[in-house]
Amino acid sequence: MRDPKLDTTSRRAFLVRTAALGVALLARASGAQETGARSVQTPAGTSTNPLESGSNLFPMDQAAALSVKRPPKPGAHEKLSAADRDAVEHQIRCQCGCTLDVYTCRTTDFACEVSPAMHRDIMALVEGGYDAQEIIDAFKATYGERALMAPTREGFNLVGWAMPFTALAVGGAVVAMLVRRWSRRAASVRAAGGGSLPPAIRVNATADEMARLDAAVRRDKR
Amino acid sequence: MILVGELSLWVALVMAAWTTTVSFSGARLRRSDLIASGERGIYTTFALVLLASIGLWTALLTHDFSFKFVASTTSRNMPAVYVFAAFWGGQAGSLLFWALILTFYSAVAVYLHRHRSRDMMPWVTGTLALVQLFFLLTTCLGANPYARLDFIPLDGTGLNPQLQNPGMAIHPPNLYLGYVATTIPFAFAIGALFTRRLDNEWLAAVRRWALVSWFFLTVGITLGMWWAYVELGWGGYWAWDPVENASFLPWLTGTAFLHSIMIQEKRGMLRKWNVVLVVATFLLAILGTFITRSGVIESVHSFAQSPVGNWFAGFLVLSIALTSYLVTTRLRDLEAPVTLESMLSREAAFLYNNLVLCGIAFSVLWGTLFPILSEWVRGDKITVGPPFFNAVNIPLGLLLLGLTGVGPLIAWRRASTANLKRQFAAPATAGVSVGVVLLALGMRDPYALVSYTLAGFVTGTIIQEFAKGTSARRAIHGESLSVALVRLVGRNRRRYGGYIVHLGIVVLFSAFAGLAFKREHDVTLRPGDAFETKDPWGHKWRFVSQGVSRYETLNRDVTAIALDTWRDGKRLGLLTTEQRQYRDSRGMPTFNPSTEVGILTSAKQDVYVVLAGVTGDETAELRINFNPLVVWVWIGGGIMAIGGLIVMWPVAERRKPSSGYRAVLSPAAEVEV
Repeated sequence: MRDPKLDTTSRRAFLVRTAALGVALLARASGAQETGARSVQTPAGTSTNPLESGSNLFPMDQAAALSVKRPPKPGAHEKLSAADRDAVEHQIRCQCGCTLDVYTCRTTDFACEVSPAMHRDIMALVEGGYDAQEIIDAFKATYGERALMAPTREGFNLVGWAMPFTALAVGGAVVAMLVRRWSRRAASVRAAGGGSLPPAIRVNATADEMARLDAAVRRDKR
Repeated sequence: MILVGELSLWVALVMAAWTTTVSFSGARLRRSDLIASGERGIYTTFALVLLASIGLWTALLTHDFSFKFVASTTSRNMPAVYVFAAFWGGQAGSLLFWALILTFYSAVAVYLHRHRSRDMMPWVTGTLALVQLFFLLTTCLGANPYARLDFIPLDGTGLNPQLQNPGMAIHPPNLYLGYVATTIPFAFAIGALFTRRLDNEWLAAVRRWALVSWFFLTVGITLGMWWAYVELGWGGYWAWDPVENASFLPWLTGTAFLHSIMIQEKRGMLRKWNVVLVVATFLLAILGTFITRSGVIESVHSFAQSPVGNWFAGFLVLSIALTSYLVTTRLRDLEAPVTLESMLSREAAFLYNNLVLCGIAFSVLWGTLFPILSEWVRGDKITVGPPFFNAVNIPLGLLLLGLTGVGPLIAWRRASTANLKRQFAAPATAGVSVGVVLLALGMRDPYALVSYTLAGFVTGTIIQEFAKGTSARRAIHGESLSVALVRLVGRNRRRYGGYIVHLGIVVLFSAFAGLAFKREHDVTLRPGDAFETKDPWGHKWRFVSQGVSRYETLNRDVTAIALDTWRDGKRLGLLTTEQRQYRDSRGMPTFNPSTEVGILTSAKQDVYVVLAGVTGDETAELRINFNPLVVWVWIGGGIMAIGGLIVMWPVAERRKPSSGYRAVLSPAAEVEV
């Protein structure tokens, strides 16, 4: 039989030794990690700023704007009202990293130079006689689909659009199947004389004992 | 104290490893000494992480800029409250904060359950310690808040100005409290799976913890929405940003669990499903953290690309593998003789509710991850933004709102036609009446119309339930209306607290629907210029520019414009909006300029003014929004939180009735469940 006191003492000693070893090893690992962090170089070859903010807001990419220019249509006149233009800007995403659309970003954050540049391109296209779809297509041609606030409903994107509803339909079918199976089981329990008492509950008491229990519960409720 | 804290962090790591080892070994070998050591290890790890946290707070508040974390998140001229809150304002500190909450919750859970579920608890303790070990490893080796700089700067860079907001000081802790609380039910689920004790016992233990998680996630998400609304300046409170989605996902599955748990308690059904929901909620909380910290998905909130993301990815994969193995090898233990007597029963309604909640969770997860999938398949980066999420989730949300009203009205087991007629007549009339009145008043937006009709119906069900309960109490006990109402809720907190939560949901949906009538105006004003317009309610507004002013205060330069504001010819006062350039203690600018929104709040709408820019000397570019019913979002969130508090408030144990009842029976007789 083990001596509990001896057992405790040895465990404690083990703990102390393990802790000391662990601290030594991990401190070394941490030191290596810090040294590694200090020597990080950017592609340009300059050291990263050791005081770079660790806070969790996105780093703005001010150079993200690309030029979206098209020659004005012959005899161009504006097809879009200001409200229509704003609606188009709501469908095009600012590329600074903010995840907002062009209209919202340019009217929110005047530190952003990307959304005003994209706005100017949109204005030029409106003045050049382009309609909403043509403007959106022009931005898509320049930036790719990331210029849009939502995937187009074509090609592989259809999987993206359809999947939530497909999953819900499959889930609904599974639930319907389960409900039907459980209902059939309930019917067979009823047919076997099981009444509506859940099969998991069984009371091992005489009628007299149950009556006394019932009376006690009622007294307690009062 | 700082050195003590730094050392404590490392010792806590070793202690978590020890606790994991002895708890699992003790459970496996059935050695009580190892099990007891594991329990003590949980308490000790908490004490050590607390010391580590106090050390970091000391470093922050004493401006010890030899630490990289302190120098990169604070500056000497920052208000003390934000220096304190900078603890969770950066990557490394927030991981330690997470570990602090986790070890605290673990200590409380182990203490509360130390005398119950003796064979399951060592597995629970081991699982908790294993999760602690992961977080402490990530903190120590991935992003250590005690990492030092080669030099000591005179001042730090300070906290991002947009994080210097009361909402930011309190919203992350609430979210963390919610996220981390999912660990306790997860640990109990793992304990139950290991011991194959998958009856209702483990559910009783986790229900309250699931409620704690739900409550803090609700508060955290609401505060997060408020912060985004007042601070980011884009005029909304929810943008389906991946980080917002990350907090919403565990809330959805947690809500589904809180409903399905009732079916297992009442009918012994859905045992497998409840295990899956508990595990999924925890994994989604970890996935959310991975999304936030890996930089793998573009988000306005994301921490920069960080190796910590790989740690979370690895942990997520391991957790999925372990839990999948445990669940699949114990499927037979989860079998229960399930019966469902009717598709028109409360248990069936809860099934539909779970289906919709999980459908929404899936669509949010799918939309969040689809850009990665698309890039992988097609090599082209796409954006999945609000148009996608709104198109998919608004119909599902309305379905859920309808079920919120249907569920409580249907009887357990089987609802008869008479029961349905009696229960649904008044609420359905209320809903239809609201819809007809709004249609007659000219409302044509289909989603808004359906939303308000359903809101009327659900409100009708809630009022009906309260009215029935109160009048029954008054008839039986002769109580006054107020006393009967208070006692009705007090004596049946779970049921009526739940109805209060439903009321909060109704208020929230009504507020969301209000945004269909939002109006935005892009305005340029010189001093003395006026802008006149009508709001969605038909009121006439007039805004007169009082000119741009520039001044310096505390740690920032401010450019502000004041608008003299009039509604229907009545002057309401000055509405001010600002641009701020924060500076460090040497006067050097820190971060980009930020906006401070001017908001005029009323029950009907918010007038929301953003200074988008100043051209020339005093020409201001402004965006003026009329955002209907926004204040009801915060009120709805508050009502939900109050309902949650009522549901989870502990009931005083005035006596132990079971022993009394047992005495009534002969010693041989007992109730088997």
